[in-house]
Amino acid sequence: MDGMIQAIIQGLLLGGLYAAVGLGMSMIFGIVKITNLAHGDFLVLACYISLLFMGVFHSSPLTTLIVVVPIMFFIGFGVQRTMLNKVIGRGDEPPLLITFGISIIIQNLLLYFFTANAQKLASPLLLKSFSAGTVSIPVLYLISCIIGVAIILALGVFMKGTYLGKAIRATSDDTEAATLMGVNIKSTFGVAMGISMVTAGVAGVLIGSLFNFYPSSGSTYLIVAFAVVVIGGIGSIYGTLWAGIIFGLAQVVGGFVFGAAFQQLVGYAVLLIMLIVRPQGLFSK
Amino acid sequence: MTKLKTNNVSKGNMARYIGIAAIVAILLSLPAWGGKYAVMMVMLMGIYIALGQMWNLLAGYSGLISLGQQMYIGVGAFTVAVTSNYLGLPLPLGLVCGGLVSMAIAIGLSYLLLRMKGMYFAIATWMFAEAMVLVFVSIQFLGKGQGLFITAARKLQAADVYYYSIAILIISTVVVVVLLRSKIGLGLFAIRDNDTAAETSGVPQFRSKLYCMMVSSFITGVIGGVYYMSQVWIQPYAAFSISWTVAAVFIVVIGGIGTITGPIIGGVIYVFLSQYLSTLSQIGSLSQVILGVIAVAVILLAPKGIVGTVQNRFGFEIISVRRWMGKYTDRLPEPTEA
Repeated sequence: MDGMIQAIIQGLLLGGLYAAVGLGMSMIFGIVKITNLAHGDFLVLACYISLLFMGVFHSSPLTTLIVVVPIMFFIGFGVQRTMLNKVIGRGDEPPLLITFGISIIIQNLLLYFFTANAQKLASPLLLKSFSAGTVSIPVLYLISCIIGVAIILALGVFMKGTYLGKAIRATSDDTEAATLMGVNIKSTFGVAMGISMVTAGVAGVLIGSLFNFYPSSGSTYLIVAFAVVVIGGIGSIYGTLWAGIIFGLAQVVGGFVFGAAFQQLVGYAVLLIMLIVRPQGLFSK
Repeated sequence: MTKLKTNNVSKGNMARYIGIAAIVAILLSLPAWGGKYAVMMVMLMGIYIALGQMWNLLAGYSGLISLGQQMYIGVGAFTVAVTSNYLGLPLPLGLVCGGLVSMAIAIGLSYLLLRMKGMYFAIATWMFAEAMVLVFVSIQFLGKGQGLFITAARKLQAADVYYYSIAILIISTVVVVVLLRSKIGLGLFAIRDNDTAAETSGVPQFRSKLYCMMVSSFITGVIGGVYYMSQVWIQPYAAFSISWTVAAVFIVVIGGIGTITGPIIGGVIYVFLSQYLSTLSQIGSLSQVILGVIAVAVILLAPKGIVGTVQNRFGFEIISVRRWMGKYTDRLPEPTEA
C-alpha cells in the first residue's frame, strides 16, 4: 500500500514536469498551426547543452539554465524565421517533413559528437529526499514539478498580460486582422517558437537530471509531448497541466502495477484510449 | 487540332513502352553479365525504390504522412524468419506471409489511424512502431532483443535475392500505377484536393485510404522480408529503426512527392549517396545528418523534388497516372491563358 502511495506521489510530481514537456508543442500547434516533430529532440539537445556548460562552469544543472534558456530561445527563433516561416500556407505536409528532417539532423549530430552512451546531468539533489509519514518525497522530483507548474503559470500570465502575449494570441485567432492591426506575423511566430523552445529547454534540463538520456531519446519525449497535447486539448495552457498529471500518473502507477518494463507501454495505451474515446482532448472547449 | 494531339500522345506512349521494356530487360539480365558490386547496388535500389513508392502512395496521393513504415519492415522480416525457422515454410511463401501479417496489422490499426489527419496520423504511426519494437524485443521465440537468423537464407545466392528485389520493384511500381489509374485513384486525387467536396460527391474516403494502407503495408512487409533475407540476421532495433522511414522520406522528397518516377530517381540517388557516404571513414552518423540537410533544403527550395521541377519546366511525364483524356478532349473546356 505504501508502495502504491509512493507511486501516486511520484506520478503526480512527474506529471507537473510532463506538462512542461508538452507545453511548447501544444502552444506551437495552437498558434503557428504546425506540428513540431523535433520537439523531443530539441529537449534532448538542451540536455546536452546543459551537460557541456556544466563541464565549463563546474556548476549544477539548474545553474546552466542561465545559458541554456537564451540559447534555446535563439535556436527556436532562428529555426522559425529561416525555415518554418517559409513553408507556412503550403499545407500540412512541408512543415511536418521539415521538422522531421530537423529531428533526424539533431539526433545524429548528437550521436556524432557525444556517442550513443547514456548521459546524466549529475545533480547534488538527486539522492536527497524527505519523508512525509510513511512515504519519502524525492527533492528533485518536487523541484521539477514546481518549476514545471511555474513555467505554465508564467506562460499563462505572459499570454494574458503582455503586449507580445496579446499579439501572439491575436495572430493565432485571426492572422489577417492581426496583420492589419500592425502585428509583425513572421517575427511573432519566431518569438512564439523561441518561447516554446525555452519551455522545452527548461523541461529538458530537469528531465536530464532525473533520468538517463541518449541522442535517440527525442522520440520518447515527443510521444510524451504528443500525449499531453492530445489529452489536454490543443492550445489550452492549463489543460496541458492536467494532461501532464494524468499521463505521469498513468505511467508511474502503471509501471508500479505491471513492472517497470511496461511503464512506456502503459503510457502508449493511455494515449491510444484517449485517441479512440476523445481525440479532441479532455479540456478543449 | 485534337487529332494531332492524340497522335502525339500515342507515339510518345510507344517510345515510352519500348524504353521501359528495355530497362526491364537490362535489369533481368544483369546478374548474367554484371559484377558483384553492380548486382548488390541494383538489389538495394530495388528495395529502396519500392520502399519509397509505398510511402509515396500514402503521403503523396492519400495525404497520410506515415512515420511508422519501419513497423511493417520489422514485422515482415520477423515473419519470414518465424515461418521458415519454426514452420519450415519455403522463403517465397514466408515473404507472402510477412506481407499478409503486416497488412493484417495495418487493417487493425486503420480503424483508429484513418480517423486522424495530419500530425495525429504521423505521430500515431510513429508511436505504434515504437510500441511494436518494445513488444518484439520482449518475446522469447523472437530472440528477445538478440534478433533471429533466417537460417534458410544462408543458402541463397546474391542473384536470388536480386531477383526478389527486382520483382518487388516492378510489382510495387505497377501496383501503384494501376491503383491510381483506377476509380480508387481518381477518388484519392479528389480527396487530396478537397476532402469535403469529394465525400459529398460520393467518394468513399475511408475505403479508398484503407486500400492504400493495405497495399502499402503488404508490400513494405515483403520489402522487409527481402532485405533481411540478404542480411540473414535480423537485429530488431535496426529492423524497427526510424531510419527506414527517414530513407523513404528522403527518396520521395528528393525525387518528387506525388509522382511515380520521383521515388525511382530518389531511390537511385539514395543508394549511390548512402554507399558513397559509407565509404568515407570517420563520418559515422553524419551521413544521416547530410541526408537530413539535403531533404530539408529540397523542401525549402524545390518543394516538388527533381521530377516535379522537371515536369513543371518541360511539361512532360514519363509515367503518368493521370487518366488519358484523349478521347474526351472534345468535351473539355477550351484551355484559357493563365
